[in-house]
Amino acid sequence: MTQVDPQVLARARARITGPVAFPAAEPVPAGLTRVAAGERVWALPAWPDGATPAVLEEYQTLPMPLDRPGQARRVLAAALRCCWTRLDDAPWPGRAAALTDVLELYATTTRGDAELMRRWAVGDLRRLADTGWLLLDEEAGTVRPGPRTALWAEESLAPLRALLRRMPPPPGGSDE
Amino acid sequence: MLVGEAVLGVYRQMFAALARDAGAVVDDPELVDIAETLLSAFAEAGEEGLSREQMRHVCRHHPAEAFENRLRVLRGLGAIREVFPKPNQLRYRASFTSVVGLMFVRRMMLDGGQSEMHRLLALEQLNVADPRMTAEQARAGAEGLGRAFRLWSVELLTLANSTIEELREQAPKLWGTAEIIERAERLHGAILRRWPELDRTCTELRAAIHAYGDASRRAAARLTDSAGTTRNLTLLPPETWRTYARTASREELAGVLDGFVFDAPAPWHDPAAIVTAVQEGPRTTPPRPAPPRPSVPDPGLSDRTPADRSEADRLAGIAEQVLRGRDRVEVHQVLNRDWATARRLLADLSAAHLHPELPYRLVWSDGLRARPGSSPSWLSDGVFERLGEAP
Repeated sequence: MTQVDPQVLARARARITGPVAFPAAEPVPAGLTRVAAGERVWALPAWPDGATPAVLEEYQTLPMPLDRPGQARRVLAAALRCCWTRLDDAPWPGRAAALTDVLELYATTTRGDAELMRRWAVGDLRRLADTGWLLLDEEAGTVRPGPRTALWAEESLAPLRALLRRMPPPPGGSDE
Repeated sequence: MLVGEAVLGVYRQMFAALARDAGAVVDDPELVDIAETLLSAFAEAGEEGLSREQMRHVCRHHPAEAFENRLRVLRGLGAIREVFPKPNQLRYRASFTSVVGLMFVRRMMLDGGQSEMHRLLALEQLNVADPRMTAEQARAGAEGLGRAFRLWSVELLTLANSTIEELREQAPKLWGTAEIIERAERLHGAILRRWPELDRTCTELRAAIHAYGDASRRAAARLTDSAGTTRNLTLLPPETWRTYARTASREELAGVLDGFVFDAPAPWHDPAAIVTAVQEGPRTTPPRPAPPRPSVPDPGLSDRTPADRSEADRLAGIAEQVLRGRDRVEVHQVLNRDWATARRLLADLSAAHLHPELPYRLVWSDGLRARPGSSPSWLSDGVFERLGEAP
């Protein structure tokens, strides 16, 4: 086997494993964005020229297919409403919120059987955590924004902020 | 045309040893059809044979020129002969050997050389078991087969080094080789057991079989290699792919994508997409019911004048009411009413002034009347006048 550039190898590994945290002391391979919080660091793909996958739509290219993207995004919005309390700051790193608050908020903002909604929301929270959009700690029952939220461009956040202001506060009363 | 070319290729290969020169071999498959038609007609005719006119009648679907040509060649080569070898003979008969030869040709056309090899091997196997078979005949048979395998492996080796398209075209030659090798080795064993003195010939045959096996494996490996790297699924027949997918081990299947790196799934949730999803999501409060409709049927729009027209008419009516036949009127006279009425009237007069189709004008001058205690407490001087003739 030929010798592979360790940088290339590290980059390939980061792309295969997806957003996996590693200690802050380790270097981040070139071509990846370093997203740090405390002692942990995530290496995420850097978008060329600041473009995000949202431009796929402009080129009429299908993005990565998602199961029920609307539901997943509503769950993400509910989680952000609980975690991203200081809306003038960036969503990342945010703060941890109780899982029950997120589920309760989601169940009250959507129509349907509340118990079923909660179960679906848990599944979506796990999927969002798998892909780095949320950091889920099921044992402690907390959820935080994931490292991928750090890739949102600041200028694209205004409508999201407005939306979160309109959403009802989390029932736990932890809203400031 | 390609099919015809392939058939001709088989003919040329088969009769290359017999042909005087390249032109002596037929260059149109139709000519073979003529020969076959003729030979089957002869078979039906019996010992009487056929006259020239009868032969022409049988071949009436073919052009006369081709028929004459065919008859001349077949007579020249002895496939069709006179019933009695004497001058002015009019009746002809066909040769048995030519019919058998034609059967062989047709079989080669249908199956190609490979299945003929199967037949030869099976035939040789029967011969070897025959007690009348002599060692000399066995040696000749083994040498012939060895030569065939040698030539075959040379052809496959050339193929393995040629372009992949050519290899793909000739790929059917590679299929079922394991069976042929097995048969050949069985035959080889049988010959060696019965005539141990033929060991030298058998060694030659064994080497030829192994050479053939190596060559066909190499060609097949090249084919599958290129099929695997190009992902061109048409390089092999679909059955082969299906069999591979069903029977391959997990490691073999994983090896197909060896060297490929796949990104972890990374769905992107744009802030705008989140906003859209929340806004389009099902709400806790059901949508408001539509307001009740009146139970009487809708009169429709047919007998209503357009809104624009009726507005102009209304303004013209008010203006004429104010003017009362005069051409102009002072504004302060007109507006000397209670505040609500005066305000509405002033609005209508301004509208009449601004309406492009109505011939009225409001002209303001500098004066100002203060009217303490009265209803409009002050009024500017001005006139409301008609432009042009009274209607």
